[in-house]
Amino acid sequence: MAGITEAQLKLVADLEMEMMADMYNRMSTTCQKKCIPTRYKDSELTKGETVCVDRCVAKYMDIHDKIGKKLTQMSQQDEERVKQLQAQMQN
Amino acid sequence: MKNMAGLQGMQPGAQQSVEESMRPFREFLTQYNKITEKCFTDCVTDFTTRNITNTENSCSINCLEKTLKTTQRISERFQEHQLLNVEDPSAAMQQMGK
Repeated sequence: MAGITEAQLKLVADLEMEMMADMYNRMSTTCQKKCIPTRYKDSELTKGETVCVDRCVAKYMDIHDKIGKKLTQMSQQDEERVKQLQAQMQN
Repeated sequence: MKNMAGLQGMQPGAQQSVEESMRPFREFLTQYNKITEKCFTDCVTDFTTRNITNTENSCSINCLEKTLKTTQRISERFQEHQLLNVEDPSAAMQQMGK
């Protein structure tokens, strides 16, 4: 890898890990709020709650991916626009 | 993600500035997580199916774009306000009243 030291790679990996944990915590709170009513009549997860939690996790990851792809696409378009502007400035 | 490209040009050995140069990237990722949480909470309500419905999909993408545009607009107005404040504090107060 040109110009990137091991320490820098570790920093990037650490940041990725930290952000995964952050995403996990947010997802966990969100799916509890969406799927688990706060009456707590029983200590067991009901069948419906279980299915809801499973789907909530799956859909959360899907939305996370979709938003990530859209963000990447948007920032790429931004970058191209900046490059075009810079090229125009030089002419 | 565009901030990754910035890592290529970093000087090795400058540990302090490496941490510092990671900051925009860290902020970007945190913002990304926050937007997912917000847009998922507001848009995904149907747990009778595992698939993302068309409505949920377009809602999430609109939510993302709208959030970014709103943040940008807020930051523009805030910057204007800050600028006015430096130049002439009394004019800033009038501007705010409009």
